[in-house]
Amino acid sequence: MCRSPQLNSTFTRCRLAVFCSVKTLTEVDISFGSILPIVKFPMSKLIFRTIKSLNHCFLVSCFVVVSAMLIAPTAFAQEKKLIAIIVPSPENPFFKTEADAAEAKAKALGYDALVLVHNDDAVKQDQLFDTAIARKAGAIICDNAGADASIAAVKKAKSAGIPTFLVDREINATGVAVAQLVSNNYQGATLGAQEFVKLMGEKGSYVELIGKETDTNAGVRSRGYNDVLSQYPDLKKVAAQSANWSQTEAFQKVQTIIQQFPDVKGLISGNDTMALGAYAALKAAGKGNVIVVGFDGSPDVAQSIKDGEIKATVLQPIVKLSEMAVEQADQYIKDGKTDKPEKQSIDCILINSDNVGKYTMFGLKD
Amino acid sequence: MTTALSSSAESTGVSRLSIGVFLFRLRAFIALLILIGIFTLLTPSFFTRENLIILVGQTAINAIMAVGMTFVILTGGIDLSVGSTVGLAAMVSGLLIDRGLELPMFGVVVYFNVPAIIFLVLCLGILVGAFNGLLVTRFNVAPFIATLGTLYVARGLAQLSNEGATFPNLVGNPELGNTGFPILGAGTILGIPIVIWIMVLFTALGWFVAGKTPFGRQVYAVGGNERAAELSGINVQRIKMAVYMICGMCAAMTGLVTASQLVAAHPATGESYELNAIAAVVLGGTSLAGGRGTVWGTLIGALVIGVLTNGLVLLGVQEFWKKVITGLVIILAVVLDQLQARLQQRLALKRG
Repeated sequence: MCRSPQLNSTFTRCRLAVFCSVKTLTEVDISFGSILPIVKFPMSKLIFRTIKSLNHCFLVSCFVVVSAMLIAPTAFAQEKKLIAIIVPSPENPFFKTEADAAEAKAKALGYDALVLVHNDDAVKQDQLFDTAIARKAGAIICDNAGADASIAAVKKAKSAGIPTFLVDREINATGVAVAQLVSNNYQGATLGAQEFVKLMGEKGSYVELIGKETDTNAGVRSRGYNDVLSQYPDLKKVAAQSANWSQTEAFQKVQTIIQQFPDVKGLISGNDTMALGAYAALKAAGKGNVIVVGFDGSPDVAQSIKDGEIKATVLQPIVKLSEMAVEQADQYIKDGKTDKPEKQSIDCILINSDNVGKYTMFGLKD
Repeated sequence: MTTALSSSAESTGVSRLSIGVFLFRLRAFIALLILIGIFTLLTPSFFTRENLIILVGQTAINAIMAVGMTFVILTGGIDLSVGSTVGLAAMVSGLLIDRGLELPMFGVVVYFNVPAIIFLVLCLGILVGAFNGLLVTRFNVAPFIATLGTLYVARGLAQLSNEGATFPNLVGNPELGNTGFPILGAGTILGIPIVIWIMVLFTALGWFVAGKTPFGRQVYAVGGNERAAELSGINVQRIKMAVYMICGMCAAMTGLVTASQLVAAHPATGESYELNAIAAVVLGGTSLAGGRGTVWGTLIGALVIGVLTNGLVLLGVQEFWKKVITGLVIILAVVLDQLQARLQQRLALKRG
């Protein structure tokens, strides 16, 4: 048998570190695939049996999992009702504000609030709905991950007796959610487009950036823009691309587009994060005077408007929407109904250099 | 791989070292028990029947994929296209239910019933796997690159299938005989969701095939030492083809299950699922270099990830911290994996 001084010291360390307290485990030897005990003490017989059974780990793990599921007690409802808030990633300040406002309002009304993030993955959202149902939540406030893909989850919550209040994005079904509170995206888009027309002087070439295709809001805003802009024959749309609400994607796409159309005069974007990415690309190419208009009313763009870079955006009153959703959830939990219709929309407000001085986080001071 | 030990010359040193190695092999299982214990203590809503069923149900989606991935990684390869295969399978099942198969040359639209759709989509998964296998065996492309390419191709095809839109409302039409699809995702047998039964079935089959059949032995041989396996007469190309096809089939099953749960087919389904599958396999003790690992280890690895995710959600941990913690757990698992390899080497030297 080869013994090197190196091995010796490692082995000693091993012995000291792991086995200093298991003197009784001597005489039991385990190899990779088979168990050959040299049983000396009764203790080691018991341990040997345990270790041998552990070797059939597949069966043991199945047994553990199944028995856990069977012997575990059922969930108990807590005294303070829970409101689950399920939103897209808070990397976008819009969704962060949405979640924070809902959480604050829920706590102010005496509920426990749990904020969960679905990252625009409909499957993850489905699992988070499952979690809320298992926690016996009183209500779910949700900014959903897909108008078609979210219907099953909301239905599941409904049959479990939990009302869902949708904020910011709708689903393609009525009668499943208790309320769908959205900003009037179409009205907001027309506001933005009219400001864009004014700034462009009613002529010139422009680019449109569209949001994520699976989000209804992307299509609604695009329609609003096009309904206004198509009425001006001197305004030419040279490119329309989707940047999936992403700042980096917008940056890259606009970088490419201005290679093809270097004389573009304006850019209208489906939301603020894309507008920021687009403006960064334009500025880097020395075209900082291109007219850019966004949508959302995020604080980054408000700052940009103050600095004279992006020209305008459309404010979505998301704080107000979130709070309304929680208030209606509270009313539903107490009375079993709200006296509001399912689809509710609040108008958007235009933010440009004139009124940006009064801007607060997704709100406007009077 | 399994060596029977002669009973003579059992020095205490060897036995103690091998106990250490044995417990070390069980580290994923021990970690699972520790995590369950920690979360049970930290929050009362963890160890409840509803939560555990949800936990295992969510794990099942990852576990089914990870079982297939285990076979590929055991041969020393990797399959990055599983996430896109999930998406493609989901979209194809949505297409078959929603629009049926259009055959313009015969002027008919064929609507298959649900068992036929499941069979066809699984075949599609096998086809994608065969494509991967072809690239790796026939054209000698490195598995990483080959499956990376398939990742993009399959994702693009999934999005093309309905111009980026979702196939909504996959309940089917009784007149066309294709109802019953949602049962796969939402149905229960004996109170336990069908998803979990599928996971158990796939894991049991995988464990049996890998551990108890000649094919499984050949997979381990190819991963352990490919040249030696080839020289011993094992058809390495065929084994590699087979494992990629198994992986593709498991990914297709996951796609079916997700589409069924959502009752809709979403083109972005499965994005970055491959990373979760690989994490589960690695956490379970399978070496990325191939030749070492078990299917039940993968199941434990998937459960560890599931418990971690579920527990952190229940604790209300901020989303970004969850990512950091999950990443650290995976890094720890890979580091321990390396330690295990070295410990086993030491033990082999000691006996030699």
